[in-house]
Amino acid sequence: MSAPPEGDHAGKRMILRRDHIAGGAFIVAAGLVLAMSGDLPFGTLASPGAGMMPKLLLILLIGFGAILVLRAGDSPPLATIEWNDIRHAATVIGLSAAATGVYTTIGFVLSMSLLTFVLLYFVERRMLWRAAAVSIGVTVGSYFLFNTLLKSPLPPMPFWF
Amino acid sequence: MLGFSVAFQPGVLLYAFLGCLTGTLVGMLPGIGPLAGISILLPVTFGLDATRAIVMLAGIYYGSQYGGSTTSILMRIPGEAASVMTCIDGYAMSQRGRAGAALCIAAVGSFIAGTFGVIVLTVVAPPLGQFALGFGPPEYTALLILGLVFLAYMSSTSLIRTLLMAVVGLMIGCIGIDVMTGHFRYAFDIPELGDGIGIVPVAVGLFGLGEILSTPSHTVTAKVKAPRLAELLPNRKEWHDSAMPIARGTVLGFIVGIMPGSAHIISSFLSYALEKRVSKHPEEFGKGAIAGVAGPESANNAASTGAFVPMLALGIPTGPVTAVLMAALLIHGVPPGPTLVNEHPDVFWGFIASMYVGNLMLLALNLPMVGVFVNVLRIPYSYLYPLIIMFCIIGVYEVNHSIVDVWIMLAMGVVGYLLRKFDFDPAPLVLGLVIAPILEMSLRQSLIMSDGSWSIFFSRPIAGILLVVSAVLLLVSAASFVTKRKDWREKLADAESGDS
Repeated sequence: MSAPPEGDHAGKRMILRRDHIAGGAFIVAAGLVLAMSGDLPFGTLASPGAGMMPKLLLILLIGFGAILVLRAGDSPPLATIEWNDIRHAATVIGLSAAATGVYTTIGFVLSMSLLTFVLLYFVERRMLWRAAAVSIGVTVGSYFLFNTLLKSPLPPMPFWF
Repeated sequence: MLGFSVAFQPGVLLYAFLGCLTGTLVGMLPGIGPLAGISILLPVTFGLDATRAIVMLAGIYYGSQYGGSTTSILMRIPGEAASVMTCIDGYAMSQRGRAGAALCIAAVGSFIAGTFGVIVLTVVAPPLGQFALGFGPPEYTALLILGLVFLAYMSSTSLIRTLLMAVVGLMIGCIGIDVMTGHFRYAFDIPELGDGIGIVPVAVGLFGLGEILSTPSHTVTAKVKAPRLAELLPNRKEWHDSAMPIARGTVLGFIVGIMPGSAHIISSFLSYALEKRVSKHPEEFGKGAIAGVAGPESANNAASTGAFVPMLALGIPTGPVTAVLMAALLIHGVPPGPTLVNEHPDVFWGFIASMYVGNLMLLALNLPMVGVFVNVLRIPYSYLYPLIIMFCIIGVYEVNHSIVDVWIMLAMGVVGYLLRKFDFDPAPLVLGLVIAPILEMSLRQSLIMSDGSWSIFFSRPIAGILLVVSAVLLLVSAASFVTKRKDWREKLADAESGDS
């Protein structure tokens, strides 16, 4: 079974394109924020309120989003976007979020050593001793650089440095 | 003379050197451009005075323009976007065994362009600053609108996509307490959002983390052979063929650099197109023409210096990098703009003088030490990116010691990843975020001044002229958008995506 060629109008099927999704997402997001902006006063032109600028911008955003949707025919089909890096992206962002979640609780050295070690050893399949040496060495070095030399403190571990 | 007395202080020299060195490395390493590099290293400057901080950060910026050429020529990987054009003929020269000559011409061209840029900056910035002292809110509103329109006009992506990104940036800039009325806007009961969303978490997330998310380690290979020192000197013909492209690239780059947009990227593209057009042997382009290296490399360095003119003289950033540099000055209590030269002459002149010194340092660093720098490229990317993520987190956290900023960076990383997938350039978003408070304040002040009449923007000559120019540019852009005419912006987009 072969997929219809790009731009094929056989069967009058509408091909969902990249800018349909992008423009639609901006319209929905701007609409939601506009709905949340009810308590912000627009004011008058002679005395503009806190809501004037955001509301004008949101209307512009909806307008630009609509133009994007209307001209979406020029953009490539949605199916042509390559997502082969999504697993890498999800892993990296998930691990970074987990490390951020415990950053101030268990401290910089522990959270960042764990983050870099997991990425190097489990994700990138580097040798155990190298992954451990790099993650601990760079993290401890950075901690002393910022805390001691640059006098810009990083979160300490609960019972140690 | 005040500038040189500041620039030659041992501490300032040291930080200029550290900035140039770091910038060279930042420019070479794929996945970390000048914007992410400056943002990540911004907290390192907190313990320094404003002069040393800005000297170091600016060193990273123009150093990255030098460094980017090394990976482009030796590996066909642009360390940063402005080096894309250098890949074409630089790598072709490398394949013919002339990598050393290409590196030398790139470094010399960058030095000449950078030095020329600083000389013009020295002459132009102070009088421009004096002129801008007469600007009121309507002029600033008009100038910022012109900046945004020019950004859209110059962008390699479409007019609507650029304006859309700029509006998103302006919208994010509205988050926090409204300084004129005290209203909390979109803060969702998170006290940290009261001060608004900072530029550093947004820039690091969009450019640093976003790039890492879309670059799996198996896609980055690092096979590289460093040229020997003896191979670095170009022959007589190569010097001869490079002279005029360097001169043209320098002037063109500086002019483009003053204008808003990703000037250093655009300037290198325009320079390449110009050289190909004026060349007697255009067929050699793409096969190792030295003019294809000399022109774009000179242009992107001149453009990086040109970008400092509006930043220093008017207090207006022309791109995300100058926006972060402006934020750095503000953090150190030095507001850039027309008053800078009078109120902080040591910072202003020290910064400019340090750029003369910095360009010399970069020439000395980049030629003899190319073999050393190449070793950095041999570090596998799988080791680099976990460490870059760690430095992203440190860099963002250290600005305000706020974990909320780190969460914002992670969210922006995901946004940056999705924007790349849907072919949006995140740079206008960052610019919009930076100018949002200035634009909103000046717009509202203008309306209050005129008792609600829009005519104030046209009754004042400077504001009126700026708005008319904005309208003309918008119409020109809209015309090509509506007629779907393929112009130089589409060609630039093709080049940036590697379709050249």
